[in-house]
Amino acid sequence: MTGIIWTENILQALAAGLLVGTIYGLMCVGLALIFGVMRVINFAQGDFMMLGMYAAFYIFGALGVSAVFGTSAGPYVAAILAGPVLFCIGYLTHKVLISHVSGTRTAHLEGEGHYAQLILTLGIALILTNGAMLFFGSFLYSLQTPLSTSAWELGPFWGDYVSVFVNKARGISAAISLGVIAVLAWMIGNSRIGRALRASADNPTAAIYMGVNVDKSHRIAFALGVAITAVAGGLLATNYPFHPYVGLEYVIVMYAGVVLGGMGSIIGAFWGGMTIGLVQQMSTLILPTQLQNTAIFVFFLLIVFFRPQGFFGRVVERT
Amino acid sequence: MEALKINRRDLLKSTAATAALAYGMAGASAFAQTPAEVEVGLIVPLSGIYARPGQVMRMGAEMAIEDINAAGGIGSLGGAKLKLVIVDAGDSTEKSKNAAQRMVAEHTNLVAASGAYLSSFTLAVTEVTERAGLPVLTLSYSDLITSRGFKYVFQTSATAASQAEQSLPVVIDLATRATGSKPKSVAIVTDNTAASVASVKPMRERLLKELGIELVVDETFTPPLADATPLVQRIRSARPDLVFFLPTVISDAKLMLEKLNEFGLGQGRIPLISFGIAIAEPDLLKTMNPALVEGVMTCVGNWGFKGHEALIKRIKDKYNEPWMTQNAISTYGDMWIIKEALESAKKADKEAVAQALRTVDMDGGPARYFPGGKLKFDENGRRVGAGLTIVQWRNGIPSTVAPANIAMAEPYWPKK
Repeated sequence: MTGIIWTENILQALAAGLLVGTIYGLMCVGLALIFGVMRVINFAQGDFMMLGMYAAFYIFGALGVSAVFGTSAGPYVAAILAGPVLFCIGYLTHKVLISHVSGTRTAHLEGEGHYAQLILTLGIALILTNGAMLFFGSFLYSLQTPLSTSAWELGPFWGDYVSVFVNKARGISAAISLGVIAVLAWMIGNSRIGRALRASADNPTAAIYMGVNVDKSHRIAFALGVAITAVAGGLLATNYPFHPYVGLEYVIVMYAGVVLGGMGSIIGAFWGGMTIGLVQQMSTLILPTQLQNTAIFVFFLLIVFFRPQGFFGRVVERT
Repeated sequence: MEALKINRRDLLKSTAATAALAYGMAGASAFAQTPAEVEVGLIVPLSGIYARPGQVMRMGAEMAIEDINAAGGIGSLGGAKLKLVIVDAGDSTEKSKNAAQRMVAEHTNLVAASGAYLSSFTLAVTEVTERAGLPVLTLSYSDLITSRGFKYVFQTSATAASQAEQSLPVVIDLATRATGSKPKSVAIVTDNTAASVASVKPMRERLLKELGIELVVDETFTPPLADATPLVQRIRSARPDLVFFLPTVISDAKLMLEKLNEFGLGQGRIPLISFGIAIAEPDLLKTMNPALVEGVMTCVGNWGFKGHEALIKRIKDKYNEPWMTQNAISTYGDMWIIKEALESAKKADKEAVAQALRTVDMDGGPARYFPGGKLKFDENGRRVGAGLTIVQWRNGIPSTVAPANIAMAEPYWPKK
């Protein structure tokens, strides 16, 4: 009987880890896109995710998506629509603020603009958090859907025992996350914008000589990165209540995921996020639950110690 | 008879003297009409993940200040009005401690304060206020708050251990009467904040054994949870008769209730008894289906109860709060306790107010805003005979169901 319970516990933790990890992965991809193309560490990424959650919430309720699509499909439509809204906000943020301390304008700045970038993105994070507190208040909200309280039961696999519950809301969120990553991967690999992004990332000077508008590519990368994380936020909000400070809870996960995957690697960031989800959920099988987050960072330190470049990072800096 | 000689210099002198006298009299009369305001502090989290409960505490304090001032202020100080000084305790113990330091340094006229929501924050804040000699009233639960030998801390709620001791027999009795047999096993799922840890300690060490109940799951988590699956999976494997759940963050309450439902254990299939107010906060309804929380009981230090109907209506009208949580009613009561202390201290001085709080002994007055006991603090600063309230979700509203003398509804056992 103990073996059966253990089997069920392991399978359940694995399922929870995969579901949580996929969302973490999508969040990390957004951050990695910004870092990979622009080499800007965006400390405000968690707060853009928070804005994505509020955007999805208002699209779902106030803009009538819930009335048109219902409470089952509506939250996912709203989460996806939050992407274009945050794309515009990200585009404007880059144009008005970030572009002054990044890209082709950094030659005259100390440390190639990295100090200014850190301070600026931290400042944006503070403004967004406190602005949201003033504007939206301290109330908790979520995109309420009946799917978040029901599950697909897989099994029982062993007589009446060993069932795995897959939460419907998290399951659909995970599927949409994979879809968004697939579309992004296709876009970067095959589209004209994707080629411009890759050229701007690999060698901005050469890209300029070849007629690529590097500043515009950076702007698109920033906006796209913010939009992807916002979609992840919207998907998370179907299950997780949010407030203006929710970004702080996730920004560390995003950074850990990006570093685990290898700084600059977009697919690596996905696997980094996935690893964090799996470690967070599966560590409870052998460690006390209150050490869930400690387990993430012990694992993170081990990876940084044995493989400093991360899963998919390159050892040699790009030329 | 010598002729009265007045030169210009004398005239100027006498005019100046008359003007000064007139000004002084006018000033004195003005002071007599409007005595200086008395500053009272409220140090609560107004930013970060605990901002919402902090804001509700602020509502309670503001309502009380409004009522006290409308009723004529502090009679023994010539009708002096109270002025609320609000300080943001932030979202960590470090920030709370810094906020307390800022409060005592910048507001030297404070006579007393109330705060700081989370027991962990109150422990940090009172380390500072104790040294500054500023009396602080608190609704926090942790036994540690009033077991450090401090002289300027006054705990109005029953301590966490006392609440566990008072509530467990009531809950077990209710379960036994409703189901016909006494629960045999229990799961404890608690976060690791100071109040929760203090509530669980006597249960693990003594109370469950005394009641003949086996502890089959004992899980402690760090809030906020990302997912409640591992916790609920443990419950599913052990199938206890009851779950004792001690969250501090509302999101944890939501995740747990939804996950129990998802695993087919919710809505009374395994009855869940909570401790603390997180599971009865109005915000919970903004994030989840009310049906999932119906029948859930929670043991709380204080709640809007019988006799508070007018206050509950006011907070609804004024702030759109659907009911009066402990955060609102206890902070409201704290301001009235400070008012009583000022009345007997007869001066706006923190040391005199602290002394008045140590010696106050009343049955009525502000005691009516707290369950059980009276308005009297023991040598540790604990309110003598402090009771608790058991609150149950009924038709989408958490109502006080025990003790019977202050209950607004009858309790029922949610077992299916």
